Amino acid sequence: MSRLTKIVLIGLILFPFAFLLMLSLGRQWPYPVLLPEQWSLSNWQVVLGGSEGLGNSVLLSVLLSLSVATLSTGLSFWVSRHIAYHPKREAWLSLAYFPYVFAPVILAACLQFFFIVGGLYGTFGGVLLAQLFITFPYGVIFFSSFWNERLRSMEELVKTLGGSTRQAYAKVLVPVAKGALMTCFFQLFLISWFEYGLTNLIGVGKVPTLTLRVFQYVNEANVFLAALASCLLIMPPVILLWLNRQVVFQERNI
Amino acid sequence: MTRPTFFSLVLALLLSACGDGTAPETAQEALSQMSWPEIEAEARGATLTHMMWTGDPLINDYMQSYVKPEVKQRYGIELNIVSGQGSTIVQTMMAELQAGKTDSEVDMMWINGETFYQLRQIKGLHGPWTEQLPNAQFIDLDNPFIGVDFQQPVDGYECPWGNVQMAIIYDTLRTPNPPQNRAELLAYAKAHPGTFTIDTRFTGLTFLKALLIDIAGGQKALAGGFDEAKYGQYAPQLWDYLRELKPYLWKEGQSFPEGVAPMHQMFANGELHFTMSNNDCEVDNKIMQGVFPETARGYVWELGTIQNSHYLGIAKHSAHKAAAMVVANFMISPEAQYRKMDPAVWGDGTVLSLDKLPEDWAGKFRNLPNRQYAPNREAIQDKALMELAPEYMIRLAEDFRKEIIEG
Amino acid sequence: MQERWAAYSSRSLFVWLAAVPIVAGVSYALLYSLGLIGIMAEGLTLVHWQEVLTDTAFWRTLGFSLFVAAVSILLSLLLALALVLRAPQAFTRGTLSFFIYLPLSIPAIVMAFFIFQLLGKGGWLSRLSYQLGLISALEQFPDWVNDNYGIGIIVAHVIMATPFFTIFFANLYQNERLGEYLQLAATLGAKKRQRIFRVAVPVLLRRGLATVFLYFMFVMGSYEIPLLVGSQSVQMVSVRTIQRLQRYNLGDIPEAYAISVAYTVMVVILLGGLLWYNRKQMGRA
Repeated sequence: MSRLTKIVLIGLILFPFAFLLMLSLGRQWPYPVLLPEQWSLSNWQVVLGGSEGLGNSVLLSVLLSLSVATLSTGLSFWVSRHIAYHPKREAWLSLAYFPYVFAPVILAACLQFFFIVGGLYGTFGGVLLAQLFITFPYGVIFFSSFWNERLRSMEELVKTLGGSTRQAYAKVLVPVAKGALMTCFFQLFLISWFEYGLTNLIGVGKVPTLTLRVFQYVNEANVFLAALASCLLIMPPVILLWLNRQVVFQERNI
Repeated sequence: MTRPTFFSLVLALLLSACGDGTAPETAQEALSQMSWPEIEAEARGATLTHMMWTGDPLINDYMQSYVKPEVKQRYGIELNIVSGQGSTIVQTMMAELQAGKTDSEVDMMWINGETFYQLRQIKGLHGPWTEQLPNAQFIDLDNPFIGVDFQQPVDGYECPWGNVQMAIIYDTLRTPNPPQNRAELLAYAKAHPGTFTIDTRFTGLTFLKALLIDIAGGQKALAGGFDEAKYGQYAPQLWDYLRELKPYLWKEGQSFPEGVAPMHQMFANGELHFTMSNNDCEVDNKIMQGVFPETARGYVWELGTIQNSHYLGIAKHSAHKAAAMVVANFMISPEAQYRKMDPAVWGDGTVLSLDKLPEDWAGKFRNLPNRQYAPNREAIQDKALMELAPEYMIRLAEDFRKEIIEG
Repeated sequence: MQERWAAYSSRSLFVWLAAVPIVAGVSYALLYSLGLIGIMAEGLTLVHWQEVLTDTAFWRTLGFSLFVAAVSILLSLLLALALVLRAPQAFTRGTLSFFIYLPLSIPAIVMAFFIFQLLGKGGWLSRLSYQLGLISALEQFPDWVNDNYGIGIIVAHVIMATPFFTIFFANLYQNERLGEYLQLAATLGAKKRQRIFRVAVPVLLRRGLATVFLYFMFVMGSYEIPLLVGSQSVQMVSVRTIQRLQRYNLGDIPEAYAISVAYTVMVVILLGGLLWYNRKQMGRA
């Protein structure tokens, strides 16, 4: 891939981020000017300064999403292996699609009743469980593409050499699937992080994730606040990506 | 684990749906007998969950930076604000009542006429309770725009909190002479196609109601309960007018914005020449936030627009009714209402009657700094129309979709 | 022995987390739509189902959702496959491998907002066209959002799906050692075109079919993007469902549940078709 193509691609990728940042710092954007007429930090001050507990929301969101992503990735990795090697693999896999028939908001509306009856309504645990419902099956489907004969024979090899299942996982399977694991973890983290409708309905706003607090501005008339809220929503995952850079992008020489 | 086991489990859970949703009546009796100091004592130390719309940073600031610390300091109540609008509130209440929950997750709610109507339908509101509030004596309940909500008397089931009138917003530079009636609107749309539209939610329907009242010949014609015959007589004329207007609307009437927010955005960048708001002070807010150009103004046209109030309600099965009453009492106090009415803070109209207030407060209210861009409150009062009975809104919403959007 | 226990418990967990919620949810929706449960319920009735099934707008909604999802997925697949096959290593190593992840951190609601501000008549591209002299008034800019073809919706979904598919296929390429197969094919005399269309693409698509179909379902059932960027006269299925749920007339709510159940049936049929097709393919292979 030529250098030019790479630069163009990177430019295209960075454009939305730059655009949102630009709008978040603006005031007055009448047609047909390309950039806002006035620049100001007041929007940022209003949102960051006026909202107490925003820091707590960030911590809560990180805790929730990390838990959901770790649990889901780990569990689905383990479960998908057993399903992939089952003779009736397709039938099992098709079950995993069902939670995604509905948009999460609608699924939440259908399950709201059960959460209330089960006493999980408006609790952190309830929201965690609800998010597991929409992340775990995703992981299973995602990993189903990765279990193949080569991996199976590697496992067999470990067994014949006298290794236990745990060693098979730790020394062989996990390192091989590292790229897939990280991608899946990141995707599931994002699904949990950005989840609004389901979290709001099952948590009744009592589990105030960052997304919940900021989401409402995106849908409102003030485009500058909306852009700002968007920036706040996007920043933590980008930071997470940056932090993980080393882990995610190791060279794979197998 | 076999499939039958799952299904029986699911069935068992569903069967428990046959629980009744009546909250203990005795608790309510006790509350209505208590004196105010007793209620305040009961409320102390409670955590109150208040569900409201949180899409406006100014309103959020008023609640978080003023109301919340004040009730904590004065009454020891922890106010927990959660986000949710009309339909979310109703959905939550419905689900809880259906599941037979005895103490609700949401205690107090910010509601308006349509939500009030729906909550009464599902018997989700506690009441009557407003009479017990000391500050209720100042409320202008005789004012038909405050004491009556969608043609239903409030009856003490919801407490008036603020009062607004719908205004149309335009840009004085682009539109020096905004239309004042239906004919002028049609002419303007023909001259400038694609610059006017209405949204498919509450605000758009409120506008349609005003048009319907005009077609029917004025406020009196449609007052009172829903009249099928009258609706059948005037609604077709409304649809005819809209069909005539349709090709000159935004997107040739092929689509309508899903809410006012996109409309405001399109007005701000010039795609639309008009936008609307249920809050007559909206234009001040938006100009201050740098969203609308400074040449924008709000106005109420000759036909009149609907004025209505918004209210506070308490969930029927709330476990913190006393705390809710105390906080509501604070929110309708002259002090809180005065601060709310300041255009720099929110600009929301008050529900208090200036005649009933002590003289010094009445004076303060009268001398509030005036709005700069929104229409003067007194000037638009005579163009205020009362809300119609709720069934009108149901039919209008349905027929608007059938006749105009999908037609 | 331990292996058996592990297999059994993993499958049980799977059923509990994947199947039970959805069975419970759909049963609830079905009962609600039949008027058997719900605060305003009055007993078994088919009137809501009648309302829904006889409404042409409902069928249009289903068709439109299918259309938008199919076009979006097709376009993203084309782009992603082109990118990966052109430079398979670029997305697993080096700078691009980091940057390609960035678009994933944009959620649907933000993408909807971004597309609205970019492609709308008052949006950034329109302003650019004006500045470049391509148009002389706002109205001349084409209708790319809130239009009846779902252009804005499709663009939004393509921007979201392409990076994901690129990463996915790049990883799959490595995992399946496609590079070696293509080398082999080359030495056997296959031309470039054959190598791409007869070896690379089929392998990638077949192995990745499960994920591609899942994403297809996501797009079909998406909510925020069609809400902000789509048209009100031709809606996608989730927008329509939620609108019914939030209707002013509480008695209409069972209709929303009926739509959900009908939509589930349609997806199950699609899924069944996919399974059958897959089985045929396996049989042939």
